[in-house]
Amino acid sequence: MQNSSSSSPPPTETIQRKGQSRTGLYAVVAVVVVVVLIVAGGYALGWFKTSSPSTSTSGCTLPASQTLSGAGSTLVAPLMIAWSLAYTASTVNYASVGSGAGITDITSKSVDYGASDAPLNPAQRAAIPSPGVITIPESAGAAVPIYNLAVSHTLKFDGAVLAGIYLGDITNWNNSALQAINPGVTLPSATIQVVHRSDGSGTTFVWSSWLSDENATWKSTVGFGTTVNWPTGIGAKGNSGVTATVQSTPDSIGYVDINYALTNSVAYGAVENPSGNYILANVSNIASAIKDANPTLPAPTGDWYNVSVLNAPGAGDYPLATFTYIFLYTDLGAAYGSSFSMVDAENLVDFAAWMVNESGGQLFSAGLYYVPLPAAVSAFDASAIAALTYNGAKIPVCVPTGISPTG
Amino acid sequence: MSLGNPFPPPASRARLRAAKWGDRIFLVLTGLGAAGVIGLLVAFVAVLYYKAQPTIKLLGFSFLYTQIWNPTGGVYGVVPFAVGTLLTSGLALLIAVPLSLGAAIFLTQQAPQWMRRPVGQVIELLASVPSIIYGFWGLIVLVPIMRVDVEPLLKEYLGWTGWFGGTPIGLDVLTASVVLSIMAIPTITAVSRDSMAAVPLSQKEAAISLGATDWEVTRRAVVPYARSGIVAGVTLGLGRALGETMAVTLVIGNKSAIPTSLFSQGQTITSLLANDFFEQATPLELPALIEAALVLLVITLAVTIIGRVILARFQRSGTAGLE
Repeated sequence: MQNSSSSSPPPTETIQRKGQSRTGLYAVVAVVVVVVLIVAGGYALGWFKTSSPSTSTSGCTLPASQTLSGAGSTLVAPLMIAWSLAYTASTVNYASVGSGAGITDITSKSVDYGASDAPLNPAQRAAIPSPGVITIPESAGAAVPIYNLAVSHTLKFDGAVLAGIYLGDITNWNNSALQAINPGVTLPSATIQVVHRSDGSGTTFVWSSWLSDENATWKSTVGFGTTVNWPTGIGAKGNSGVTATVQSTPDSIGYVDINYALTNSVAYGAVENPSGNYILANVSNIASAIKDANPTLPAPTGDWYNVSVLNAPGAGDYPLATFTYIFLYTDLGAAYGSSFSMVDAENLVDFAAWMVNESGGQLFSAGLYYVPLPAAVSAFDASAIAALTYNGAKIPVCVPTGISPTG
Repeated sequence: MSLGNPFPPPASRARLRAAKWGDRIFLVLTGLGAAGVIGLLVAFVAVLYYKAQPTIKLLGFSFLYTQIWNPTGGVYGVVPFAVGTLLTSGLALLIAVPLSLGAAIFLTQQAPQWMRRPVGQVIELLASVPSIIYGFWGLIVLVPIMRVDVEPLLKEYLGWTGWFGGTPIGLDVLTASVVLSIMAIPTITAVSRDSMAAVPLSQKEAAISLGATDWEVTRRAVVPYARSGIVAGVTLGLGRALGETMAVTLVIGNKSAIPTSLFSQGQTITSLLANDFFEQATPLELPALIEAALVLLVITLAVTIIGRVILARFQRSGTAGLE
């Protein structure tokens, strides 16, 4: 009796559970199998292949299509991704890993081009192995002050006020300096919640560079770089983190790249330019700023660390404009060795030349709230790209035509 | 009644040899699997230690007690982040453990039968929600609630304790702990529920037959039996809290200083890594970050070992009490 009772079936609850969990397992396996079959079938049927139309050119011959890889800035990632989807002459893979990682990757030669919002700093430049890289601007943007404050008008800021806020000297929205440049706006008495980037960023580079230009105390105590030691404030990760933090924190102020402010429709302030006008950033006044700043660009292989398009002289120019950059090895054969053929090199220079071309990649800028390069900079880039070599030999450049955002 | 031998002797010598060889191959394969896992852990620690050499040599033990992290000034101290990690995880457990145990007890002892499985499954589902989703939910939903409703109340009634000083803005150590606790609850609940469900009916029936109330049955019969599972669940939950990165980074405010109150901004070791790893200010910051990762690994190992020790003690006293 005892034996039979101890070997009696366990309570029904347990049996049901076991049965049901086994059924669950089968269901999961079935779903996985079906998904795999659909994906495999779809792949066989060509669902995931974008139709590759023959790419037109202006008379020259494109090399056989190869795969190119780039990595870096998250800021230009939307533009890079649009480019790589539209570009048909090569397959382009872009990893959006951050400007610093992009610089690390080009230094270790694990990618064909690196992208960064800030130029190489002296230490990074020294770490680049032979034969060295060229630095060329491939797009442009601007940092804008965003805020979350119940006010009726768009706020105006100048360098002294923004430096004061970010130094922690101006702590209340009804501060007299802020009120003085915002006549007619009723500023509430509320503590300013300062938001800044917690990760390293090209946007921080622009913001802190401009504050260094504007304010001596900022320059001597904080300085500029992709990360700085913030005297005050809350750190948030990424442009999206700053945007979300400002949106969810009343009485806060932050700074983001303009495309984040526009795509998230968050309020941003007008900033005083050297002519004394308060400019609310938009694509055209940033473009004119970059044009007017007429940066005497260094040689493509030179030191770009001090290149600045801040505080352009034009009366209507936005003062916080910036370039974003890509890096390419000057001699692709010497850099990558025999695993990188002349055909690969041709693919790379064609794509680079297309990116900076006014009727090529630059057409994509405006729709994504980036700023197209001025003609002079485009031409500068094109000649830098044409000067690239493969084991000393010139690389023929052939820019595809007819690739546009709509087509 | 004879059931018969479920493993009848092999028909031939050849089959026997084949079976032996099969067992050997099986042993080698499983052994390789086990060795691979151990090897990975060893390699992992070795690589971290090797890559952190520049700061270990340069800074020595000062890395472990310096309270400042200033890469541009060349000063690296892990203290603010270690404090942030332990504080947020500890607070998270303080919130999560009572709630999880309550949920587990309710689901195994008191809830009507039809409710147990669906609710249990929903809780298990919560454990598999990606942490970034908790992070965004925390930033968009929880932070405003904390700032407007919870933190001003805490400041008003508990401000005298000194734990709730400063301006409550919602992005702080307390909110990070609450998010972490919400992430730890499903894990702790699921594991303790399973161990409570495994308590033999005879244990409970014995207690009930002695006239025990629900509370007494739970306290005297269920919890002691399920203790090891509960401790395992808590350890797992703590592991999740210690290692959580994105959700914390989004809500903690990312300030590289020791928190002075639960309303101050802080950083955990994981959020420091998430923030600084891709953009180092100086070449020395990378080894410093790797050394911080090593410190986190040591903290996690220590916590796991402490969990195991508690478990072992419970199991000894537990079995002694039960048999």
